[in-house]
Amino acid sequence: MITMSSLTKSRAHVRVLEEVSLVGAEGTVTALVGPSGSGKSTLLRCLNGLETFDAGSITVAGHRLEPGPHSPGLLERLRRDVGMVFQQFNLFAHLSAVDNVALAPRVVLGMSVDESRVRGLDLLDRVGLRSFANARPATLSGGQQQRVAIARALAMRPRVMLFDEPTSALDPAMTAEVMDVIVELAQAGQTMVVVTHDHGFARRAATRVVELEAGRIARQGAAADVL
Amino acid sequence: MKCLLAAVLLTAALTSATVAADLDKVVSRGELVWAADQEGGGPHVFPDPADPRQLTGFEVDLAALVAEELGVKARFQQGQWDRLPLLLGGTADCVINGIELTPDRQRDYHCSRPYFAYSLQLLARRDGPIDTLTKLASPGPGGRWRVGVLTGSAADSVMRSRTDLEIDVIGYDGTIDSLEQVSTGVLDAAVMDDCIFTFYADRFRRLRTVERPFEGGFYTILTARDTPQLSAAIDAAIGRLIADGRLKALYDRWDLAGRQQMLLLRDAAEIPVARRKSLGELCRDTLPLLLKAAGMTILLSCLAFPLAVGIGLAVAVGRMHGPAWLRPLLTGYVEVLRGTPLMLQLYAIFFLLPKIGLALPALVAAIVGLALNYSAYESEIYRAGLKAVPPGQFEASLALGLSKWQALRHVLVPQAVRIVMPPVTSDFIALFKDTSVCSAITIVELTKRYSVLALSTGRIVELAIVTALLYLCMSWPLALLSRWFERRLERPASGSIAEG
Repeated sequence: MITMSSLTKSRAHVRVLEEVSLVGAEGTVTALVGPSGSGKSTLLRCLNGLETFDAGSITVAGHRLEPGPHSPGLLERLRRDVGMVFQQFNLFAHLSAVDNVALAPRVVLGMSVDESRVRGLDLLDRVGLRSFANARPATLSGGQQQRVAIARALAMRPRVMLFDEPTSALDPAMTAEVMDVIVELAQAGQTMVVVTHDHGFARRAATRVVELEAGRIARQGAAADVL
Repeated sequence: MKCLLAAVLLTAALTSATVAADLDKVVSRGELVWAADQEGGGPHVFPDPADPRQLTGFEVDLAALVAEELGVKARFQQGQWDRLPLLLGGTADCVINGIELTPDRQRDYHCSRPYFAYSLQLLARRDGPIDTLTKLASPGPGGRWRVGVLTGSAADSVMRSRTDLEIDVIGYDGTIDSLEQVSTGVLDAAVMDDCIFTFYADRFRRLRTVERPFEGGFYTILTARDTPQLSAAIDAAIGRLIADGRLKALYDRWDLAGRQQMLLLRDAAEIPVARRKSLGELCRDTLPLLLKAAGMTILLSCLAFPLAVGIGLAVAVGRMHGPAWLRPLLTGYVEVLRGTPLMLQLYAIFFLLPKIGLALPALVAAIVGLALNYSAYESEIYRAGLKAVPPGQFEASLALGLSKWQALRHVLVPQAVRIVMPPVTSDFIALFKDTSVCSAITIVELTKRYSVLALSTGRIVELAIVTALLYLCMSWPLALLSRWFERRLERPASGSIAEG
């Protein structure tokens, strides 16, 4: 499902990623761990083309990314299959929870308003927030916002889900509620890559743990072996 | 609202307190300040072609002679022609500028004995269909004939009173604007004092005089009613200039048929004084006109502003997300429109475009001009609004598979619109008031209508209060409407899904 070979990226003459190769099979959960600035978020963002790279290649959900700028058409096709959840949630501030979830199916997949709302409500139900369907993001707690953001990414039925430190902005109680949702997804067989500082989560849900250090893979293997 | 009323009344009080300088003050000052409009002012008052810093014209010579009779020097004061009388009582001692002697003016000012006889001349294109005045009595191929006049002039009131003619009378602020518009085909004909066309005839070779001049009257020197000694001194001075032949010599020098002028002045008939209207009559006669003009103000704002917002938004998006070659062009668009006056832009659209074959009706030109001018400001507001949307919103949209344009349309622009609502609202009210500039291109909106009515009725203060109230009655609901709109946008876009 995910193959990354010899990925190399520099930013202002500094190597951010160097010769990173990894494989994520279908239905597996890959946890990216490592100290701040080790390049794990950059690696994740390369996977859906939010960042470009200088050498190597990526194949994700059947889409192949080459070094240098990507064509908008390729990126749009790839991103339909690769969902992403951000550290800061990035919910659309002007839309209600259900409209946040329903927007992409309606705009990108061309669903009718009713159809996309049904999908939105189903997904909110799945993350336990159906009763907040009409709430504005600003009125929700951080944990609730992140669960809506997960539902929003799931609305495109992505083959791969990327999580960029999904609980770093949350307090412990909210972290637990978001982690439960992610673990549930993992158990349901969703292929995902999770950038995290939370070793507990990695032990609980990761098929494989990859530890980055200064842009290189320091160790990788089963959670019990690496951590 | 009370504050505004008080301000208007205070201004009125101050104006009447500044008593116009009577004769003794003029003499002690050593200067007679006379007001006129040099714009398109030949042969009366115009910049000397040989030295544009100097003014020349037969009224410049006349002012010098009158001042000399008073034992003082003449000093020129520039003003907008139809508002020259407002300069009396403070800024100027008298107005000498082809002011026609009418019953209304007799009522509101002191009018001197006539110093010049004019006639009205109909003008049309040589290759056009109008060859007699009676042609105007039946509609032309394009419906009613469009006839241009100088706002507030005798031609204006005479043509408007001719209900026997199938004409729309369009008022211009400059004397020769209407000649330009007849040349370019925007107007079918123009009517003005014969001496003006005679003076400019060489510049408008495509135009011809239609028949002989058809109605006439006299020019008078206006002074304020509360300077009787000055008025009497000016009357006496004109009498001496006529008696000793200096006025005839002056007109001969300007090729204005001195002997004929003297005969016409000798036989000048007394002009009756108009009756001052009661407040009831004033309201009955002016309110419908003011309301109609207010309608024009609303029409202009409500059509121009949505256009300005649409263009402004497109320009802002183009500058931030458009192709590289487009961005400097759009930046240039904004800088040119922001850096030049609205008045000049309206002039260019209305008077210059017809020269390259694109004649827009005044209403269209006004809406386009306002929309373009305001689009530059709106685009800057929207650019700021788009920048204020957190970058994570754009990334989140892209990560969901939206294209750049879909992200703009569904995520960035809707949020920017909410952010910029307050400045956009205040711009709407600004545009609403700026519609008054459109009077420069013949649009009669509320301010213009007020100015015309105030001068023709002499009820400057009463009508100012009514007009200010009308503006407030319009802008207050506008403010409420946009506040309501702002609140509506604050709510989530969907509200139809049941909770739980």
